[in-house]
Amino acid sequence: MSTVVIHETMRRHFTSIAYWSYVALLTITAVGVSQFDRPGAMWPQLVTLLALIIGCGPIGPEFSSGTLQLVLVKPVNRAAYLLSRVAGVVLSVWIAALFAFVGETAGRLIDGTVPWATLGLTLFNTAADTILTVSLLTLLGSLTRAYFNLAIYFLVMIGIGILNGMLRTLGGIPDFVFQSLAVIERNLYPDVIQHFDRDWLLLVLSNAAVALLVACFAFRNREVPYGAD
Amino acid sequence: MTVRVRALRKSFGKHEVLKGVELDVAPGEVVGLIGPNGAGKTTLMSCLLGFLHPDSGEISIDDKRNDDLDVRRRTGFVPERMNFSRGETGWAFLRYMALLAGVPRSEVDQRTRTMLERLGIANASEKRLSQYSRGMLQRIGMCQALIHEPQYIFLDEPTSGLDPNGVLLVRDLIEEQKKRGAAVLLNSHQLAEVEKVCDRVLFLSGGVISRHETLRHVNHIVVAITMLPDSYDPVTVARLTAAVPQNNVVIATVETENDIANLVRELVASGAGVIDVRRHTADLEGIFRGEA
Repeated sequence: MSTVVIHETMRRHFTSIAYWSYVALLTITAVGVSQFDRPGAMWPQLVTLLALIIGCGPIGPEFSSGTLQLVLVKPVNRAAYLLSRVAGVVLSVWIAALFAFVGETAGRLIDGTVPWATLGLTLFNTAADTILTVSLLTLLGSLTRAYFNLAIYFLVMIGIGILNGMLRTLGGIPDFVFQSLAVIERNLYPDVIQHFDRDWLLLVLSNAAVALLVACFAFRNREVPYGAD
Repeated sequence: MTVRVRALRKSFGKHEVLKGVELDVAPGEVVGLIGPNGAGKTTLMSCLLGFLHPDSGEISIDDKRNDDLDVRRRTGFVPERMNFSRGETGWAFLRYMALLAGVPRSEVDQRTRTMLERLGIANASEKRLSQYSRGMLQRIGMCQALIHEPQYIFLDEPTSGLDPNGVLLVRDLIEEQKKRGAAVLLNSHQLAEVEKVCDRVLFLSGGVISRHETLRHVNHIVVAITMLPDSYDPVTVARLTAAVPQNNVVIATVETENDIANLVRELVASGAGVIDVRRHTADLEGIFRGEA
């Protein structure tokens, strides 16, 4: 991994007004939901949304803008570059998540009761989910150009739901088809849980690892002609 | 320490763009790459830089693969169009490029400042790249390519979009790199520019290097001396210059500029009416017309 790339990725987010505006929104929301009975509401979804917004940046859009060519001519291994970009994005999202966690904790401290275990595990699982989300987007980015990674990510997510509904309406479809769709959905878009589940964690992290492995392989072999787009 | 290409082939689908390209660029040499649109100059550059994977053939830089990280550490590249995150300031962009290129952290700020000043854009260092003009982007493109003092420099239309001052500056920079011992490959459509800065020119046409011309020799100077008709004795001129005059012009090869002065003095003493002396270069425009 390249510390220069990780640092630069984080610096770009930390010097962005949009990033800090989103963090402020996230923190305010977290303080607001601290009044709810159920801890860890809403902000994990907003953290996932942030992961989607900034996680679609690596590789695909850089390929189209011509940024990659300037980077790849430098002494940085392609796989190291890709993993460092992912690390930088994930760390930036984690820091935003930490603000939300602190916001809700502060809100609940005023009432005197903080469900530390639930809140802590929500933060932990959200952090794990962030790795999967960014890894999947990077994988799609390493195979496509521009922001097609985000488009494909949403298309598959919505497509699974629509396909499921259509097949149920048609009727007579074998059960294994629905089970397969459910497995795909669970693997690619797992819901963030609020308790410790070793199987869930393994599923999320192993899927992220596979996505990154394939992304590194695809990116290593990808041709990057300049002036491509 | 050479850029070496042998039997390089590259196709896109059924269209074969490079059909066995061979070239060498030695240290301290500036080689121009010219050819008509679609000849494959950009494809060749992309292969050299490792952006494209050749179908077959060999590319080696300093006897190593072109994607070797040690080679990359000593490689500089200026693309025709500078594309980077336009929200970045010139300073931040250049710092990042320097760090990526392996410039020690302790030297990065100093080198960034020096390069920005050298390229005349120090005043715009805190401006975002989105506010840069085409010429300024081209200048910062040169900065990022040269900040780590590379040994192998690939320039794709470096003067495109530059004002005359910028063109002169780039010419000086190329000359500096040459004196430093860097191998420079220049892809340009501006024949006059190529003629001024290059030692050799390669003409890429039909997917191969169809012709190469030496414009400047490292160890000697070639001069064209024009004389008044009937003012000279061809045998004497041939003895003095070791070349036969044709159409009242003799192409002589000398080692130093002093030798040029001495030769002219001897010709005049022999009675030849010397009316013009100029360094001899190939007629690129003529070649281009003939080959393109």
